[in-house]
Amino acid sequence: MAHVSVPMYWRTIPQRYKMIGQKCKKCGHVNFPPKGVCKYCSVSSEFEDLQLSGRGKVHTFVLISSGGAPPEFAEQEKAGGMYPVAIVELAEGPKVIGQIADADPKTVKIGMPVKTELRKIYTEEDVIRYGFKFVPATEEK
Amino acid sequence: MTKVAIVGAGQSKYGEFPDKGIKELFFEAFKDMAASVDKGLDPKGIEAAYIGNLGSGGFQLGNMSALVAEYAGLQYIPTMRIENACASGGYALVAAIMDVLSGTHKVALAGGVEKMTDVSGLKQKYWLGVSGDTEYERLAGTTFAGLYALIAQRHMHEFGTKREQLSSVAVKNHKNGAQNPKAQFQREITLEQAVKGPIVAAPLNLFDCCSTTDGASAVLVCDAEVAKQYTDTPVYVAGFGTSSDYLAIHDRISTVTLEGTKKASERAYKMAGLTAKDIQLAEVHDCFTIAELLAYEDLGFCEKGKAGPYLDEGHTQISGDRPVNASGGLKSKGHPIGSTGTGQAYEMFNQLRGTVQKPSRQVKKAEIGLVHNVGGSGGTVSVTIMRR
Amino acid sequence: MAVGISGYGVFIPRLRIKREEYVKAWGSFAAAGVAEKSVMGFDEDVLTSAAKVSKRALESVPLSPDKVSRFALASTSPPYTEKLLSGTVLVTVGVPNATYSSDHTTSTRAGTEAIIAGFEHVMANPKGIALVAAADAPRASMWGSVEHQLGAGAAAYVLSSENLVAELEGHASNVTEHFGERFKPRDDPLLHDLNVKKFAEGALISNTTKAASSLMKKLNRKPEEYQHVVIQQPDAKVPSSVGGKLGFTEPQLAAGLVSKNLGDLGAASVPVGLAAVLDIAKVGDKVLVVSYGSGAGADALSFKVVGDRKAVPRVQAEMDRKEYIEYVKYLKLKGAIV
Repeated sequence: MAHVSVPMYWRTIPQRYKMIGQKCKKCGHVNFPPKGVCKYCSVSSEFEDLQLSGRGKVHTFVLISSGGAPPEFAEQEKAGGMYPVAIVELAEGPKVIGQIADADPKTVKIGMPVKTELRKIYTEEDVIRYGFKFVPATEEK
Repeated sequence: MTKVAIVGAGQSKYGEFPDKGIKELFFEAFKDMAASVDKGLDPKGIEAAYIGNLGSGGFQLGNMSALVAEYAGLQYIPTMRIENACASGGYALVAAIMDVLSGTHKVALAGGVEKMTDVSGLKQKYWLGVSGDTEYERLAGTTFAGLYALIAQRHMHEFGTKREQLSSVAVKNHKNGAQNPKAQFQREITLEQAVKGPIVAAPLNLFDCCSTTDGASAVLVCDAEVAKQYTDTPVYVAGFGTSSDYLAIHDRISTVTLEGTKKASERAYKMAGLTAKDIQLAEVHDCFTIAELLAYEDLGFCEKGKAGPYLDEGHTQISGDRPVNASGGLKSKGHPIGSTGTGQAYEMFNQLRGTVQKPSRQVKKAEIGLVHNVGGSGGTVSVTIMRR
Repeated sequence: MAVGISGYGVFIPRLRIKREEYVKAWGSFAAAGVAEKSVMGFDEDVLTSAAKVSKRALESVPLSPDKVSRFALASTSPPYTEKLLSGTVLVTVGVPNATYSSDHTTSTRAGTEAIIAGFEHVMANPKGIALVAAADAPRASMWGSVEHQLGAGAAAYVLSSENLVAELEGHASNVTEHFGERFKPRDDPLLHDLNVKKFAEGALISNTTKAASSLMKKLNRKPEEYQHVVIQQPDAKVPSSVGGKLGFTEPQLAAGLVSKNLGDLGAASVPVGLAAVLDIAKVGDKVLVVSYGSGAGADALSFKVVGDRKAVPRVQAEMDRKEYIEYVKYLKLKGAIV
């Protein structure tokens, strides 16, 4: 079981529930998840919050099978079978990793459009950790 | 640079040893190292010890370096645990080299040890899965197999790298490891077996992944000026380099390049006054088959994207012009996290001196070799170049 | 000042199980008139569903979440028995933190409780905007027949005095003391039902018919004046028996009878049924909804359709988007294998 403490998880709620990114005041690039110093210009640590669209395209993906699932995701794999995890290139520029829900693993492809939705991520210390997952964007408007 | 020499190297057997803990494993490697010193070693001459380690089998979170050192008879010396995940051993070696290079000590021990089979399957996955980016990568439901699979998928997409090419890495390394009496898996596998392995994290299957292993290794590093006191055939440290990278793959400039490997090797080449062309053999970090292909490219053995064909052409076979992982690599030899880096140095020490246990995997007349150790999915990397 | 529904959103989880799967597993299927029912995915629950329908409801108006001044959440199957629930939805949707919210969780009447709470807010505050979400996926022991009927779904409503789709004409309630029909004792997350059938039926019929009759009397309304009637749907037969007693006919019940394909949506039963009606109702149509919660009580609300639906949520589309699962997978998803 990976241990992510409750306060540590709580600190990331703006990202996990709402896709709040950081727009660099110097170079204008968008960081997500947040950085101390902008990873694009490596200079500025001044940002403004930016609500991201949650939309993007699959940059690469993996289908996690029982042998590859961490203990806290083992039940999910056992209940639902192998699950896709992707690095998604968001419309605003940054890439971020996340599961793809509601998709037949066979249909997941590089370039496939996806968008974020709130889902249960995992449960630790009896506390449900909610956060974004990606779902196929063509499925609904 | 020929200011630092390696005059002894030892390794425990790699595998599953219910009767041995980190103390016993480390001592086994230490004794093996001492026996390799041609003119004999008085342990009192060892002035400092740097020990690579990640999890200590789950029981000793702090201060393990003092514990394994005193068990092996090294008391009242500076000891330090070096932790950079799977690159802990490689960084322990670099730490010992830098110590000697600084003039602080003349003789320093670099070692590594890991006890992975003591803990339950669940705990193993815990230890292994939290050296990537825990907050995002782990909580997306991945372990390292998943992360390397993300890289492999993209590599296949961008460069047309084939399933069979990934498997060929495993086949080659098992062939070499079958000739290594200290390897965990001393058996060959067929390409068909490797291609059809059970899926772990598609596109990676079981034969693309290294195993969990118990093991330890130790390397004796000293000032070149005193090297001849220990042996007439020392191996010299020609250069070294290390580099970090973004911990999470999604933050990296390129998904298919380990920038840490590129930077670390560029630094090592520069210090050694060499280029990739000069490297005659290498021990690279093949925790997953794709990782060896990335290493070919990022160490400069071939162009980016050409690792598949480079492998197919046979260059990296023992019979090729630049054998890679003649030891069997992590894939066949096993991957006891903290020990892997110094274990690679152990192999290189013997390859360059012509003292490999089984002559069938001895690379003939090699003078310059490189060892490459990667932490996690590339967050930390160390490269050391050695010459006879 | 007229208040009413300004927008709404619906979500039906995409997984379905057919009655035949139950027949294969148990030899029979106890939910009358239900052909198949909806099931939450492994990573979905009432809060993720409530967040989704809340966003959809606001988008249907359209309205920015920071305009919301009252939030209410309804469910009989929340993930915690103690912990404020609204916050998860409120923060995800972007409703201001200073918004007063309430969680309604102790019976399947919770959906209309939340809607009435929302209406009370907008009636008292002319500029007020209430967002109400009802989401449910009730659980019971796999050994009990009550489990057969349980489905999953969610609907949310934006209530205000502007941009009305349907105007509230009035509401009425009835509460009695009944016990043993459908309840969760302390320390058990699963529904109990003692299966005292006639007694339970009596509680349901007396509360629903009394609430509905008193509302119709207040509005001076005859049954035939309603184009659509939605009655709490533990299965697909109960609405007919209650409706029959009130003088309603099958065609009036047809549009809102979602339980045939979704099962018992608990606190979301009436809210989802109402959304299905609003999808197809014409301007001028009158709609009566009657909820029921065991224990026992019923709320009746009467609406008049006054505006075209700008962005129709289309409950039908949600119902058509589906993937069938087998009973073993159903057991896994319901957490019945421990």
